[in-house]
Amino acid sequence: MYIIQNALKNVVRNKGRNILLGSIIFAIIATTVVALMITNTSDRIIDEYRGQFGIEVTIERNTQTFVDMRQRGEAAMGISITNEQFIAFADSDLLQRSVIMNSAMIYSETVTAIGQTGELAAGHGFAIAPTMQMHGNNWEDFANGHRVLVVGEMPVRANEVVISEELAELNGISVGDTIRLFGTVLEPAAAMGFTPPVFDLVVTGVYFCAAESVGTWGSTTMIRQNEVLTVADTIPGAAIIARYYLRHPSYIDAFEQELRAKGLHPIFDVNTDEHLFNAIVGPVEGMRGIVMTFMIVVLVLGAIILILLSSIAIRERKYEIGVLRAMGMKKAKVALGLWFEMITITGICLIIGIIVGSLVAQPISTELLAQQQETAQNIQDQFFAGREIAGLSRVVNDDPITEINISLGMDTMLQIILISLFLASAAGLAAISKITKYEPIKILMERN
Amino acid sequence: MSILTLNNVSYRYDGTKKNVLKGVSASFEAGKVYAIVGKSGSGKSTLLSLIAGLDVCTDGKILHGENDLKQIDRDEYRAKGIGVVFQAFNLITNSTAIDNIVLSMQISESNERDKKSFAYELLEKVGIDKETADRKVLKLSGGEQQRVGIARALAHNPNIIIADEPTGNLDTDTENDVLKILSLLAHDEGKCVIIVTHSKKVSSIADEVLGMKDGKLTSVNQGK
Repeated sequence: MYIIQNALKNVVRNKGRNILLGSIIFAIIATTVVALMITNTSDRIIDEYRGQFGIEVTIERNTQTFVDMRQRGEAAMGISITNEQFIAFADSDLLQRSVIMNSAMIYSETVTAIGQTGELAAGHGFAIAPTMQMHGNNWEDFANGHRVLVVGEMPVRANEVVISEELAELNGISVGDTIRLFGTVLEPAAAMGFTPPVFDLVVTGVYFCAAESVGTWGSTTMIRQNEVLTVADTIPGAAIIARYYLRHPSYIDAFEQELRAKGLHPIFDVNTDEHLFNAIVGPVEGMRGIVMTFMIVVLVLGAIILILLSSIAIRERKYEIGVLRAMGMKKAKVALGLWFEMITITGICLIIGIIVGSLVAQPISTELLAQQQETAQNIQDQFFAGREIAGLSRVVNDDPITEINISLGMDTMLQIILISLFLASAAGLAAISKITKYEPIKILMERN
Repeated sequence: MSILTLNNVSYRYDGTKKNVLKGVSASFEAGKVYAIVGKSGSGKSTLLSLIAGLDVCTDGKILHGENDLKQIDRDEYRAKGIGVVFQAFNLITNSTAIDNIVLSMQISESNERDKKSFAYELLEKVGIDKETADRKVLKLSGGEQQRVGIARALAHNPNIIIADEPTGNLDTDTENDVLKILSLLAHDEGKCVIIVTHSKKVSSIADEVLGMKDGKLTSVNQGK
């Protein structure tokens, strides 16, 4: 007990020296607090993002493989993924979620599409050119707020649909009305006697559409307000569009193996949409990287300075240690006293450091994130610049994380305390190990 | 009865071949003042360091009662078995006089309940009043510091007090006071007081005077 009392008295007695040591420790702790708060919050946000959205998998035909196959005279043209395969692929424990959508080109004799100027006619290889599209299970715009249901209810059963306000107004359609739509048939098929599929659909709701059309390309099918949305069962024979979201990017190889086992042809590449993921969490990860690097540099340099300063400080107290040893105090107790002094100084700095660090962490992270956001935006602009011309739009939920609320969690607090203890111990023990090698008689003789 | 015995004690410093002490034998009893005298370099301070448990002899034995200092825990011996008064005082200078005494009692695990009150009593006994006791050692005169040094040596009530040139840095009046205190400790309180000195005045108060020359004990004379 007296060791602790004496150590506390020594902290006050040697206040000049201890203020110097404390300043270094405070700077290290405050920096560590800021860095750990930002990194831990960033990690949490990235994990939450992964947990919420998953990492989208892309299954794309490899052009080079396609060309190679054709050069070898192999039949590459007809290779595709069947609807059954798309559905089977979704059955995987590696997936966070999957969305199976389908889509059909449609026209109607009774419903005029927005932008439709003339009569129905053949075109684009179809016996009657489509004027609208019907999507099954494609609710993404509702999830991201680009579409909002304003009247009625969302479809839950086959043959129930929602249509846009514009389409409803143009055709005087109300909720509860039934509309008749037709699927398209290619001209050769029509010549062979194939008739278009007929869909008699009940309008259960009307949606507001803020989703932008990506050009019309001379076709009303490209206008987003012409999209008739329904459940996948309404159009069972239509081509499937599947989206798979992995629990973690590292699962991609295992998922690909599963797909190959389920019959996915080697012509298809299986990848994660890392660009999209990086576009969203990139600024946060960038900021985290900067902060972590800064923290490591501060910790290493700080620890070296602290050990040096502490060694000098302890050397100045060599005589005092000699006297204590001459009075019969054991080496371990001398060391414990010195270590406790360092712990006390560190403890005081820890409290001040946590308070100051907590106050400045939010503005620092906001500033860093803004810079990272700007950089990421520039990269993203360059990435999409050529693609929008080719008809690709930015995926709607790729908006980067622009704000994070920094908070001091228990895990962060524990890490800070452990780092502080380590620093204090490293600084204290490095110096103590030196000084306790001397016998008291030698210290006192040197002094005398 | 001897409470401290030197049996053929020799000592040489690490890395040297020459013995600083050469087969010194002596015994010390309670209730007496001993003076070890000799010229500088005769080995008397080295002998004192060995008796104080600050170092161990190269050959021979130093027995505290029946315990060989080489075999026992010398930290504990310094803390409880012996009190040392240094010529250079060797106090914790940025601490108060009273704290120096209390710390010594704490190190020796003294059973004294109210250590601070006891420390004030000790200091008063050696002529340090309460006001002076509460001052930092750095602000005390040489004489006051030596008195604090003596009080510290007594704090854990050891049966042996050793003093290395205890009056070397003091004026005549203070020297007299310090010698009086040391003499009283032996004769009134039954301590064994061993003083290393080359002062005739100091040796004049001793009951026995041990002469040293070239690391050997050359004479033992009755003092006073």
